[in-house]
Amino acid sequence: MKFARIIPKYNHLWAVKAPDEEVDELTLLFRKWNNAEYLLDFFMENFEDLRSFFKIERLDQAIEDTFEDAGALEELILEFPYTENLDELFKPLDITDTRMSELTREKARNWDRERHASWLRIYAIRLEPNVYVVTGGAIKLSRTMQEREHTALELDKLNRCKAFLKANGVFDQDSFVELTNEE
Amino acid sequence: MASKAIKFLEANESESPSRFVEEAAWRKENASWLRWSRQLAVTLIGYMQDNGMKRADLASKLGVSPQYVSKLLSGTENLSFKSIANIEDRLGISCLVMVNA
Repeated sequence: MKFARIIPKYNHLWAVKAPDEEVDELTLLFRKWNNAEYLLDFFMENFEDLRSFFKIERLDQAIEDTFEDAGALEELILEFPYTENLDELFKPLDITDTRMSELTREKARNWDRERHASWLRIYAIRLEPNVYVVTGGAIKLSRTMQEREHTALELDKLNRCKAFLKANGVFDQDSFVELTNEE
Repeated sequence: MASKAIKFLEANESESPSRFVEEAAWRKENASWLRWSRQLAVTLIGYMQDNGMKRADLASKLGVSPQYVSKLLSGTENLSFKSIANIEDRLGISCLVMVNA
């Protein structure tokens, strides 16, 4: 498993680079979230979730909302000094593992959407305070990650990355205790 | 001094650097015209949904290839006025609407 540094010369944010992909997971995510054709296919495949969980019937609205949220997330990741405070941006995933985190647009300043919460998620593993590795992301339309194939796949990616880091001794007992004490 | 975690990440750093910053900068630099391209794409998608059309139906109606439809739907294509007018004429719709004019 390889990792790509997201912002040159900065150590805080990394992303997994899968061997079969041209680019790292974060770049890949934003390519998808900025491509209306990809989003059309996605929302057609998941139309029932869009309708039942978000009460949205229009594909064009879903795509426009995704563009808007992707833009806000992109700024959030790139804008200094906010990007250097990742512990403030990422929140622990609700799967009883404090090292798995997600970033959503709700963390962005000037959040003013009235229609619905953002469905975009960036998933990452917190290696140590303010150091994160992005493993992927999703358009999360359902309540839990486990109940849809595309989000369950992201959970697998999180777990695989965590196992790899653990097997290579990046999570040692001390850092685990430190993290536990801190949180 | 770099921590153990940072040293590990650096030791396992991908040979190809991330393109996230570069591509985000491109989107920002080109935001003015990308807005129009995206608006065209979502208008076409709305049209397809309203008329129960698939990509092949849209390609046929526009008299273009499926590959060209893919470009239109990407929302990243820099089209000419002539191309946009042709789409509007063929579909009988307005693709670009002035907002906050």
